[in-house]
Parts: sequence; structure tokens; C-alpha cells
Amino acid sequence: MEIVVCVKPVPDAETRLRVAPDGTTLDIEAVKFVLTGYDESAVEQALLLKEATPGSKVHVVSAGPPPRAEEALRASLALGCDLATWVETPPGVSPDPLSAARALARAISTIPHDLVLCGKNAGDDEAGVVAGALAELLGVPDHSAVLDLRWDAASSRLRFQRSTEAGMEKWEAPLPCVVALQQAWNDPRTAKLPAILKSRRSPIAKVASEPIASTAGTTRPTKFELPPPRTGAKLIEFKTPEEAAQKLVKVLKEEAKVFP
Amino acid sequence: MTSPTLVVGELHEGVLSDSTKEAVSVAQSVSGKENVVGFLAGSSPRGPAAGFGRCGVAKAFVAEDPRLDGAVAAVVAHLVASAADSLGAELVIVGGSVFGRDLVARLGTRWNAAVATGVTSLTRTGATLEARRPVFGGRATETRQLQGPHVAIALRPHASAAPPESPGDVALTAVPVDGVPASFWVPKRLGTEVVARGAGPGLTDASIIVSGGRGVRAAENFRLIDELAASLGAAVGASRAVTDAGWRPENYQVGQTGKQVSPQLYIAVGISGAIQHLMGMISSRVIVAINSDATAPIFKVADYGIVGDLFQVVPALTQEVKRARGQ
Repeated sequence: MEIVVCVKPVPDAETRLRVAPDGTTLDIEAVKFVLTGYDESAVEQALLLKEATPGSKVHVVSAGPPPRAEEALRASLALGCDLATWVETPPGVSPDPLSAARALARAISTIPHDLVLCGKNAGDDEAGVVAGALAELLGVPDHSAVLDLRWDAASSRLRFQRSTEAGMEKWEAPLPCVVALQQAWNDPRTAKLPAILKSRRSPIAKVASEPIASTAGTTRPTKFELPPPRTGAKLIEFKTPEEAAQKLVKVLKEEAKVFP
Repeated sequence: MTSPTLVVGELHEGVLSDSTKEAVSVAQSVSGKENVVGFLAGSSPRGPAAGFGRCGVAKAFVAEDPRLDGAVAAVVAHLVASAADSLGAELVIVGGSVFGRDLVARLGTRWNAAVATGVTSLTRTGATLEARRPVFGGRATETRQLQGPHVAIALRPHASAAPPESPGDVALTAVPVDGVPASFWVPKRLGTEVVARGAGPGLTDASIIVSGGRGVRAAENFRLIDELAASLGAAVGASRAVTDAGWRPENYQVGQTGKQVSPQLYIAVGISGAIQHLMGMISSRVIVAINSDATAPIFKVADYGIVGDLFQVVPALTQEVKRARGQ
């Protein structure tokens, strides 16, 4: 199976967020970008499928600015991906999600792809539209909110569950398709030192990004705000658990006004 | 004059979902009540489409085909794009749901739209639309200007109150389904195991959530969380420690790698408040923490805190909630 996995480097979860001087975006000065969250889990899922399906290859693709997109690709190679393609976009902030999807689709359309895996959303903009947009551009079906993805070689079908508002749905689907994974491994594999060293020398195919068609809608950030720092909990004083319960219900009713 | 705005409906238990009504409300406030048109696809959409009328929407498109049940986003996007073009609509709004996001992803590409998802507020100034949306797990908020011939928006759950309902008629126009290319109809759903509302998978659209963490100590103690949630009519969530330990399945997990939730009220029980967890719930309106460790980071982000033994406090709270709600 030819598996393509899409990744986007995002600020490390521990990053202290700051507003850029012009007030419209995150200040990316001194921010550490990493492969994390759902994207890291998508790489893990790709590698698990590869291991379970002899003859498979995993090709990791990223559309983003230097140097972080290249670093995320090298991190994926170190984890066990076989090939990497980078659509290089101008330095600075990442492209908006539909622009990223267009850039990814152009690259993916030139490489073999039975299954395209994406994380549910990137941990920074949380748009969650790249998978659906990719599927539309590649002309294949897509499946979102996917958990428990398996390949059933006997029937040549993917089998998986989807977690939606209605409950857990059970699905089967043929290839090719795009899958957005809800599944996240809390402890995905970590790269070993020899693999990290080797990944530094591995070739990465580079594709130039093209300007966006003038007919396409785009979005432009105009403001980036941080919430006022939370001042800490108002602690409820009590002598007995019953008193704590009564006082809490009273403040939820009368002060916070969120009691059902 | 403002051009028409299309609201794509979704059903929950056979009627228009709350998220659809919220989308109607947002559309009415940015485009004017008379400019909002509904859209509903399904095996028999005509009955439930009447719900648009009760929300003050006078016109709606319906696409009728048994294969449309289960909201096949690729197909619905195709139908919505044609309906929007026939209407001259420039803006499509859909509620905050898995389907809403899927639809907007497809539609944005197909219809050359500027797209924003997880939107909490949408404003129009002159000809300019701006969307506000939480990012970075609710640790920041961004505003984006939406530029283009078309705009497609998916809201975040609870972005708005539903409009007041009153008797009202909606005129229905059928949208032909036969123009959809065969390749758009996707493979087989084998079945849906409907999980009771209030259980883990109902998390993202719940207005109250009670979550348990490591402090609960064992799977069998989790019933304390279930009972408190039941008394409040709340959904049940869990921290990563709980799902890692297998006390609850992973679709209960709230956090960076689990569900991101923004209820009106979030009660964290026995949860220390690791950044991983905070990234899933920090945008909740009111946060209550119950933990025996007064130095737990959760107390820094909570609005109200009880420093105490959850095994004593939670049962007492369940009793008090039942009493206050007359149960």
C-alpha cells in the first residue's frame, strides 16, 4: 500500500504564546516548532499500517516555510517514513489551510497514493479542513473523525470507526481515499539516534509552491488576542463536604449563572 | 442589499439539530432575517425542514434521496454549491459538528470560498466579513478577514443561542440529486452504535461536562463522576491518565490529543491540570476544580475550587444538585 501522510509543524505545547508586534498573528520569533499532536499520531498510524501490510511505503509530505517544514519531514523520516516531499512556501507564517491543501494536493498528485492520512487538525489554527479539501482536489472520498483504522487485506477494504455527534459509526471503505484521524496515540514511538543521524542526510524532494489562483477565496489574519490571565480559582471554604456542595451550587446558580 | 445566505441544516434524532438553529441565528444577525435561506438533504427532508420556518426562515432547499442519510459531505457540498449559485448566495453557514467541518472543507475547495471553521462570532462591516475563532486549544483567539467571491463558515458549538421559535411557514424548493457524479457516493457504513447522549462521544456539543482524572484512582470509582454528571444532565469526560489506564475508552479523553470542548460549565474532578488537558478545555466558560492537592495547576485556571477529598465532596455535590433540581 502506498501511504501518504501529511504533517504540519506547530509551536510546542509548552510555548508561551505572544502576540506579534503588528497584533495580527502569533509572534513566531523564538518559538520552537515541532511535529506533535494529531500529526505525530498520523505518522504513527501510517507506520503501524505499513508494518501490518508487507510491501507498503510511507511518504511524508509537508507544505510550509523553511526551516520548520523541512525539520518536521526529517523528524518523520527518523521515525521510519521512507520518502519525503516538501512544498516550500515563503518564510514566516504558515499558509492558510486551503492554500496548504492546494499545495499538498499538487505534490501528492505526482506521487503514488492509495491512502492519504492527515491528523484531525493542526494544533495551532485548528481548522481541520485540509483532509476534506485534499480529497476534493484529488477526486477521492474522505473519512473524518476516524478511530481504530485497520486494513483488511482479504476484502481489500479499510475498516474503521467514526466518532460523531450521533455516536460511534462502523465503516468500511475501499482505496483510494483520504482519512482524517481522530485517533491520537499518547505515546507514539520516538526516533532512535542512528535513525535521527541518518535522516539528516536523507534526500527530501522539493516542490516549489505556486501563487494562489486569483479566483480563490483567502483569509487574512487581522487580530491575535490572548485571554486575560486567569487569576486563579475562588476557593470555597467549608467544614463539611455538604457545606462545600451547598456553597458551590449556590455560586453556580447565583454568581456564575450556569446551574441547569 | 445583502445577498442571500444559505444555512445548511443537519438532523439530530429526526429534527433540525441545535447546531443548525445556532447557524440560523448567526446568519440572521449578519445578513438580516429576510435574507436567510435553509438547505436540508436526506431521505425525507421535507418534514424536518419545517423547523426552519419556526426559526423565522421563509425559504429552504431540500435534496431528497435515501442515500443522503448520514450526511455524505462530498455529495452535500456539490448540491449546496449548485443551490447557492442558483440563489446568488455569497455566504454559506453550517453548525458546529463533524459534518459541518467536512462540508466546509469540501465546499471551500469546490466553490472557491474563503473558509473558517470553529467560528464563535461572525461580523459584517460594509462588505467585509470577519470571523473570530479560538486557536491553540483555546489559549488564544484569532480574527480573520474572509476575502473572496464566496465565504463558507462552520461554527463552533454554542456559538450563539438558537433563535426564538414561533409558528412560521417555509416554502420548499427541491434540488435535483441526479447531477451528482457517481464517484461522489461513498462506501458503506456498516452500522452506527448510537451512544447515549451524555456519554463520551456527546462531549463536543455538551453544555455541561464533568471530567474525572487520576485522582479517581480506579475504574470502579468512576461511577462517582457518572452520578454527578447524571444529576446535572452533563456529558462525562476524562483526562489522559484515565484513558491511558483503560478506566474509560479513549473517546472520553479531553485534551490536546483528545476532544476539544467549550461547555458552559466544566467540572474537573481529581484532575491535576497538565497542559495537555488544559488545551482541551481552557475555553470553557466556567471551570470548577475539585482536587485534594491545593497546589494542583488546575486551580490556576479554574473559576471556583474545592480543595478536598473527592470521595467525600462528589457524593455530597451529587445529592445537593439533585435536591436543588428537585430530583
